[in-house]
Amino acid sequence: MMEGAPYIELHAHSAFSFLDGASTPLELASAAAELGYPALALTDHDGTWGSMEFAQVCQGLGLRAITGAELTVETAPGRRAHLTLLVESGAGYRNLCRLLTHAHAHTRDNTARSAEQPWVPLERVEEHAGGLVCLSGCAGDGVLAGAWEAGEWRRGADLARRLLAAFGREGFRVELQRPYWRRDRARNRRLAGLAERLGVPCVATGNVHSHARSRAPLQDALVAVRLGATLETSEPQRRGNSSSVLASPRAMAARFAEHPDAVAETLRLADRLRFDLTEGLGYRYPGSENPAADAELAAVCRARLAERYAASRRRREAEGRLERELVTISHLGLSGFFLLHRDLLELAREVAREVRGAESARAVLPPGRGRGSSVSSIVCYLTGLSHVDPVEAELFPGRFLNEEATSMPDIDLDFPRDIREKLIPRVHERYGADRSALVAAFPTYRPRGAVRDLGKALALPPQEIDRVAKTVGFHEGANEIERCAIAAIGARRAAAPGWRALFGLCGEAMGLPRHASQHPGGMVISTLPLLDVCPVVPAAMEGRQIVQWDKDSCADAGFLKIDLLGLGMLSAVERCVEEVGRARGERLDLSRIPLDDAETYESIRAAETTGVFQIESRAQMQMLPRTRPRNLDDLTVQVALVRPGPIQGGAIHPYIERRKRLREDPSFEIPYEHPLLKPVLEETLGTIVFQEQVIEVAMELAGFSSSEAEGLRRAMSRKRSEAELEKHHERFLAGARSRGVPPRVARRVWEQIQGFSGFGFPKAHSAAFGLLAYQSAWLRIHYAPEFLCSLLNEQPMGFYPPDALVHEAQRRGVRLAPPDVNRSHVLCHVESPRHPRRRDGNPRISWEIGPSAGEAELRGGLVVRIGLGYVKGVREEEMESLVEERERAGYRGIADLASRSGAGRDGLERLAWAGALDNLVATTRRRAGKSPISSLSDPSAKRREALWETGVAATGARHAEGTQMALPLETPGAPSLQPLGEWGEAIADYRSTGMTLGAHPMALMRGGLEPGLLRSTDLERIADGASVEVAGMVVARQRPDTAKGIVFMLIEDERGTVNLIVPPPVYDRFRAEVRAAPLVRARGRLERREGTTNVLVAELGELEEPEPAPRTPPDVSRRRERRDGHELRRRAVAELRAVAPAGHSFGRRGR
Amino acid sequence: MTAGTRRLYVPRRVDVSAGEDGAPLAVEGVAVEALREEWLVEDRWWTPRPLRRHYYELVLADGRDVTVFRSGRGRWFRQRA
Repeated sequence: MMEGAPYIELHAHSAFSFLDGASTPLELASAAAELGYPALALTDHDGTWGSMEFAQVCQGLGLRAITGAELTVETAPGRRAHLTLLVESGAGYRNLCRLLTHAHAHTRDNTARSAEQPWVPLERVEEHAGGLVCLSGCAGDGVLAGAWEAGEWRRGADLARRLLAAFGREGFRVELQRPYWRRDRARNRRLAGLAERLGVPCVATGNVHSHARSRAPLQDALVAVRLGATLETSEPQRRGNSSSVLASPRAMAARFAEHPDAVAETLRLADRLRFDLTEGLGYRYPGSENPAADAELAAVCRARLAERYAASRRRREAEGRLERELVTISHLGLSGFFLLHRDLLELAREVAREVRGAESARAVLPPGRGRGSSVSSIVCYLTGLSHVDPVEAELFPGRFLNEEATSMPDIDLDFPRDIREKLIPRVHERYGADRSALVAAFPTYRPRGAVRDLGKALALPPQEIDRVAKTVGFHEGANEIERCAIAAIGARRAAAPGWRALFGLCGEAMGLPRHASQHPGGMVISTLPLLDVCPVVPAAMEGRQIVQWDKDSCADAGFLKIDLLGLGMLSAVERCVEEVGRARGERLDLSRIPLDDAETYESIRAAETTGVFQIESRAQMQMLPRTRPRNLDDLTVQVALVRPGPIQGGAIHPYIERRKRLREDPSFEIPYEHPLLKPVLEETLGTIVFQEQVIEVAMELAGFSSSEAEGLRRAMSRKRSEAELEKHHERFLAGARSRGVPPRVARRVWEQIQGFSGFGFPKAHSAAFGLLAYQSAWLRIHYAPEFLCSLLNEQPMGFYPPDALVHEAQRRGVRLAPPDVNRSHVLCHVESPRHPRRRDGNPRISWEIGPSAGEAELRGGLVVRIGLGYVKGVREEEMESLVEERERAGYRGIADLASRSGAGRDGLERLAWAGALDNLVATTRRRAGKSPISSLSDPSAKRREALWETGVAATGARHAEGTQMALPLETPGAPSLQPLGEWGEAIADYRSTGMTLGAHPMALMRGGLEPGLLRSTDLERIADGASVEVAGMVVARQRPDTAKGIVFMLIEDERGTVNLIVPPPVYDRFRAEVRAAPLVRARGRLERREGTTNVLVAELGELEEPEPAPRTPPDVSRRRERRDGHELRRRAVAELRAVAPAGHSFGRRGR
Repeated sequence: MTAGTRRLYVPRRVDVSAGEDGAPLAVEGVAVEALREEWLVEDRWWTPRPLRRHYYELVLADGRDVTVFRSGRGRWFRQRA
């Protein structure tokens, strides 16, 4: 029997009840421990999403976690109620998992696969009662109390008898709650009477929904969010008061003063419920118990080594490394783990063959590639799990694999998106649908989402919510919401009670899980049915399922997690290879391209890296002209350099400076903090850039063992704890002292290590990413149209929106063409003069490496044609059928298109707005005996005519069985129509495709702007330190955590881009404009340094169409014309502002 | 409120003496015989006029069944509820 506390809480919800619980498991457990509870149950709605996290934090707090769930059961067709289930034994846990799995099994059966309410028939509960204790449910919706509330007491009593029969006298309890609702006493008297008649005890519970009173308002608001209602209208469904806050055991005993036995029963039950989730669940991964695994792995690796290193001068070194790794792997019992990964890769190879096709130019590429620290392992290299030779790249597997490792190593595999899509269901097939599942992820409340959700619950004006949410930005800290609101809607409105309430709620909501989602690629595979160790639920995508735990909980449970990640750039590179094959007839093998291409490195050093993997960001572009990478080793460092770890560890400036000194004087001696550090920091010029260097520095300078050093790395990263870090600090200083390192040096190095505690890449990961960075840069230089085309087809990805990618490519001379129903595919493609479009889509392919001989002639003729899929709002299947029908015979006019294509009027109108029908207008004009298009004074008249014709053409009728074609009746000729004009066309482009290939909006505005407003190219001839004013469209905004509140903006005009640096005081003054304005003008000081140019902003505002000059012409009609022209442009600018693509925003995450 | 309409069940101030635990002992001088129900309404916290009412449904010594509440400011009201 429990001693001390008079009451134990057996019914509590965390935020993992998703919008019906306002505290994290940690908050609940900490509050319970403080209030003196010896144990606490977590009973989230229909799930154990937070149970492992809860069990782990309880263990740390010395609190006993009781596992359970509040299950929704169907007691009769269409009638749902709640039961509280608590786990007593392992068998009970398995039954709970099965019940929860069953409850969710049907939740995605609808056509949209949107999540519906989980429930399970009562009969199923009766079948799985073993090892579980069943409480009769909550006061509002419980099986018994709910029946009483509904006036169906007799039915409720019958259900109680069924539950008693299923769970037995030891397993069934009548649950009493005291939520301070109007009929509490009457209800509890009735329930207690029934319990007495049935001969079972009552048990008191608190139905806790938050750990502290301060969260009670948030609980109310979350209920409103869950119901899609406001606080006003959700009143009947809310709890009505704050009595669902976790109260002290004494207060709870007092609350149930009329039912002391029910209070005492909480202690008796808690004493019985000894199941511990932190003890082994019996999980095993396939191959873990294979006695021959060591021999199998060794045989595979040795055979492969003989092939790969046949001609290598480092073969002996490789053999030595392999044997050492095999011994470590065998010692750790991980041979089966590596064989399982190899098996997966073989499966991926099969899938890749099917997805790519044997004849495809992509067929020669490996199915995927490794990332992360596993790339440093020669076993991974030889089993195909990594594509980087660790011997040649001098990568060491200490961080990935060492004798003292206590947890499973991580192997992350990157795949092109299309292969990954097919691979995941195939993994389910291979290992069994009941033995494999994706890992869950829990999107948490961030400021922007909190403003939108909670603002709606508070019934704040939608326009104001929108303005504030846009100003806040996705990654802003919660404490900045109020300041953002003042900037967006003014101090007076922000002081209104509703907004004050919102600021408070947002602060409380930050970091709470909002709903369950799937991890990008983490999978668990088991030899046992997974639903015996964790509930499994269907994912939003068909053919996929997820376990109810996230990656941390899976790791805590000892599950093997395999990351099958989709990497956009890998897909883009593959698409590019395929496009090169199609457009030029060349078959590229990226593993055979020269790795020292001068032109490629020249472009990298000049920071011409838009669209290039990993080195395209503003920060990277600022650094490339200063670090001047010359080879893959340099790129490996470059990729790792712009990360929070090296930035906060103070590595950037010394690294740049030392590279410069070395360039100027090759005999320059690198200044190491201590000679002991030379061997481990030599390649990064004495700075800590890679994650494993933290480990190596601790080992070299302070004599840490590898596991001690790994412990230090862990303490600094995910599970960072001040106390634990301090222990390592002391150990570090003492160790350094014993090695003769002066204390001040040891302190300085510790500061660098501590600074590194933010995220950093392992070298192996950087090597893998550095190679992909080079490959993408090489493709950008030598196959520019195909590379651009593949980037456009893989969006969203990278740093730049499509509009900016297109403009940058145009400035480099890449030719683009707008969507055209007679030429475009659904995706973008490259039109080639050498290989005109073939019906089978498979031009003859020759084997050539690198740019082909007749490239100059060919390159001039290549055109990137925008795909019809880029037109917003069109239906993919309509566009597919439009293209298919066109391949039979080209469209002869808009009437012909409308009748044959299968596209509806809405789709055709969208195509017309995008200019995709412009070239059909010519045909119609010819038929109507009108003058040819070329005679039109304004070519934008075509789009207007196309729109008119689309409006009168008869389209096919869409039915469930398909589209009924319309008669191809000729449309009457269009009347004389006002052309859209350049502005109209640009706005139509942005509205319909998010990009324009025509005149840049800044070029259109330029005539009305002051001559003093400089263009991007003008800055080249302006002196450093001069005052300048520039304007442009915002391409990207960045507010990195590491930049102390500075915002970096990239704006684009008709000639190029300009970097703006917005210091914190300027950001505070112009917050709304910095966060949300699509067109800005900025005044500030020009700063030029080592090949980089920035404008340090002093003032920033929205770019407006300026008022006409005061000097007015004498002629009244000209004056009016001028005024009208100004008004038209002003309206156009306003409209452009509404449709211009939102610049990408990057920066702060979390609280 | 528009002309011609009137609010129903408007709470009226009432004299209540309460014990240490806050529960009423007498209403307008009439002793409380029994406490039938007790409930709590906390709402409209997001408005300038948040609502906090602790309700008691009582049986008085004279046989009447009355409902009273204590407001957030500690004042007592009687309400037909």
